[in-house]
Amino acid sequence: MSDLNTMLLNCENLVLGYGHEKTVVVTPVNFELNAGDVVALLGENGSGKSTFLKTLCGLLQPVSGNVLLFGKSEWTARERARFITLVRMSGVTCDRMTVREFVSLGRTPYAGIFDGRSKEDESIVDEAIALLDLENFASRWLTELSDGERSRVYLAQAVAQQVKVLLLDEPNAFLDIPRSRKLFKLLQKLAKERGMGILVSTHSVEYAEKYCDRIMVIEKGSVRTESAKDARAKGLLDWTEG
Amino acid sequence: MGKKGFALLAVLIVVLAYLALFNGAVGLSWSDLSFFSSHHDSVESRIFWEIRVPRLVAAVLSGISLAVAGLSLQTLFRNPLAGPFVLGISSGASLGVALSLLAGFSFGHFGVLSGAAVGALVVTSIVMFVASRFENTTILLIVGLLMGYFIDALVSLLIMGSDSESLRVYVSWGMGSFSRLTFDGIWIFALCTLVGLVLVSLSVRYLNAARMGDDFAKNLGVNVRRGRVMVLLGASLLAAASTAFCGPVAFVGIAVPHLAFMLFKTSNHRVLMPASALCGVVLCLAASQFSKIPLNAVLSLVGVPVVLWVIVRGGGIRK
Repeated sequence: MSDLNTMLLNCENLVLGYGHEKTVVVTPVNFELNAGDVVALLGENGSGKSTFLKTLCGLLQPVSGNVLLFGKSEWTARERARFITLVRMSGVTCDRMTVREFVSLGRTPYAGIFDGRSKEDESIVDEAIALLDLENFASRWLTELSDGERSRVYLAQAVAQQVKVLLLDEPNAFLDIPRSRKLFKLLQKLAKERGMGILVSTHSVEYAEKYCDRIMVIEKGSVRTESAKDARAKGLLDWTEG
Repeated sequence: MGKKGFALLAVLIVVLAYLALFNGAVGLSWSDLSFFSSHHDSVESRIFWEIRVPRLVAAVLSGISLAVAGLSLQTLFRNPLAGPFVLGISSGASLGVALSLLAGFSFGHFGVLSGAAVGALVVTSIVMFVASRFENTTILLIVGLLMGYFIDALVSLLIMGSDSESLRVYVSWGMGSFSRLTFDGIWIFALCTLVGLVLVSLSVRYLNAARMGDDFAKNLGVNVRRGRVMVLLGASLLAAASTAFCGPVAFVGIAVPHLAFMLFKTSNHRVLMPASALCGVVLCLAASQFSKIPLNAVLSLVGVPVVLWVIVRGGGIRK
């Protein structure tokens, strides 16, 4: 476990963009994520939240600048996957995979060339399933789940991956109010008890203020970050008023 | 199903292999064979070693090759109706054979077999080139299908100018058969199958993660580009070898992975790959029992209902 406040992720003058032409969507970002931190990422649709998260976990190359993980910029793909992961609630869903098989994919970065699972891997998978209350439908097919149930399964897979930095792209988009609240409490618990750094993109301003340590807002191509309790007073949430 | 499923398939294979070796137009028994007695040059011994054993090996290797190639391509393309022939490999082999039989090109010692292998490998090389340039598997699928249409057009031009005897031989090749393999060819077929299997087996991590998409696999630390190239190369080699030695054998590649899933109820390739290989062997050995009916006719009678079942049930393509 990392000591709390250890710097896990550091962006240095990170400029974000996408496509072959590298269309710039966000101008230089300087940002640190420490162990124990839960940071909410807010912004309008299309503001660049997902681009930011994809760039942090290495799925997109930045236009310029660096992303340092534990102070290092050079990581092998497998080392990176043991340190940071991005949980997305949309995308491909395999119709022939059970919940347990899917959560077990979280152990892929630790598996050998033939993708076997040790007893330790199996117990980590069991623990992740229990943490997200998935025991009752662990043997069901992924496609049989509601969107809300599937969100919890995706999070369980990331928990089984045992990363230090957890990036979540709108994890409560499909969750009801009690489940959303429970999710944010769980994120707090994971951050404090396991020393993880968590960056969560969401449209739930209320949960961001209540359960997160800091709020980061992407607005018109620039980024501002403040502590959650000062964000509203400092005008970070003015854009939400329309 | 698990271990019971594997045990059931193993028993079926032993029974079908016994029937394939000893049952047929000429009934054989253990005592007829050279390793038990001095009948080295007996008719029975020659039937066994020169006809039955190569046919059995062809059925076994074809079953393994096509089933594993089909499974890995269905996963790579995330398309339950993909198969070894979607990449145009079968068409490439057909062009090689058409050039050999219909246009009189010589491909060396193995003749038609070499023509099929050269045609399949040329198409495989083009597919590999495209795969190395584009990340998008849909583009690869489209390129494979387009190449198939293009090559089929070239073959139809060759057919137009051919004589009736050459055309008869070509049509006969297109029906598929396990009876063309000779003892000389067994080793080449076995080697190609082994290399193809090694390439696909070394990509199990990729195949398991790629079911959820390439970005998901990258997020798990899987080298997607390398995995895709290895799977394509392995699957192409498996499909090319089978097509070269047995002709374009239909449906095994598409239908068998679904049969294996129906039996084992998992998409973990550590289980599904050997399960598909064994199911492929069972299907091909069962089809080889009907030696008087064209192979593709027998296989289609089994394959069509299975594919229809997949479509009607909507498993996998409802997304």
